[in-house]
Amino acid sequence: MLFYLAKQFVEGLAKIIRSKTNPLTTGDFSKIMAEEKKFYLTKQGLERIKKEHQDLKDLKFAKTKGEIPKIWHSEDINPEYLSFREDLSFLETRVAELENILKNVELIKPPPKEKQNIVDLGATTLVEVDGQKDEFTLVGSLEANPSLGKISNESPVGKALLGHRVGDEILVSSPIKTIYKIKKIKYRTI
Amino acid sequence: MKELLNFFIEIGKLKKMPRKGWVLIGVKNPETVAGHTFHEAIMAWILAKEKRINFNIERILKIALVHDLCELYAGDTTPYDEILPKNKKEWPKLFDKWPRFLKSKKIKKYLRQHKKERASLIKLTSKLPPALKKEILNLWLDYEKGLTKEGRFVRQAGRLTTLLQALEYGKESKRRPYKSWWIGSKEIIDDPLLVDFIRVLEKKFHQK
Repeated sequence: MLFYLAKQFVEGLAKIIRSKTNPLTTGDFSKIMAEEKKFYLTKQGLERIKKEHQDLKDLKFAKTKGEIPKIWHSEDINPEYLSFREDLSFLETRVAELENILKNVELIKPPPKEKQNIVDLGATTLVEVDGQKDEFTLVGSLEANPSLGKISNESPVGKALLGHRVGDEILVSSPIKTIYKIKKIKYRTI
Repeated sequence: MKELLNFFIEIGKLKKMPRKGWVLIGVKNPETVAGHTFHEAIMAWILAKEKRINFNIERILKIALVHDLCELYAGDTTPYDEILPKNKKEWPKLFDKWPRFLKSKKIKKYLRQHKKERASLIKLTSKLPPALKKEILNLWLDYEKGLTKEGRFVRQAGRLTTLLQALEYGKESKRRPYKSWWIGSKEIIDDPLLVDFIRVLEKKFHQK
């Protein structure tokens, strides 16, 4: 009897621990996903991230020494940095964020010739939608900007286009149905 | 302090500026730019908390609050502005389709608008203390270019705010469900939580 009660107690305790901390039971994958996520970047995008990382590290170093970093003297400065001035904790978070990106980065490269007729990351795809022509370059989330014709591979439309060929018609329920007809796919170093 | 007061008076004018998209589809008493900002700030903040990742909520709120200040002198724009027919009665019908452009045209349009909005923001903040002026400009830039995860999140939450408003107007006036709001959102939004939220909207507004 005593053994049975002890077993019940241990099992009960294990259940509580599982339910509070295990993402498999809580469904809270967000933190883990944020750390393990792959970041797809174009060559240009990767260079921008590397530069920002270096600049911010210099800035952090200068701040801890009480100096005014050189980049603030320039008129042609990337204004992005200035807003970090009063907020060291944000600066640190941003450096950590950039380091996480650099650690998990995957460079977008054009696929081999025989696969260049398939939509993949880096492809610029000419489509026909509702009788109009449109053009998208498929990029990773960090570089997506639909106003500039760059859509994310994680967006519902980006996801739907992936893996398709010229002539394919892709149905996106939005919930109103929209058909994307692929007219052309091209790759170039981006 | 006098400069701050002038700034507050100027931005207060956004409470009277109607959002152009709603004007084009003929909404009576349309939402204002300031009204949209309020809605977007609350949605971005609460949805960001829902994500349970290391977001800087203060930055989220600031980006949401400043993102449309530039419209004070630049005016509100819509993707339809260049293709509006002369006959105003045809305007609402345009919104059945999301306007499509080739990439070079998109870039040209974006750069032109960006320049105009930047100039407007510089004019608006010109008399503010330098640090504040720079902060506002940088927060706006983050929104425009998606430089940080906060900037990218607010931009997408903003799109969701507009989608929700469009659906509410559609419901109120029994207009046809404008296809463009949906499909545009599915090209712009890629955050998993916000994509899930679109499904919640679909259930509420499209499933009988």
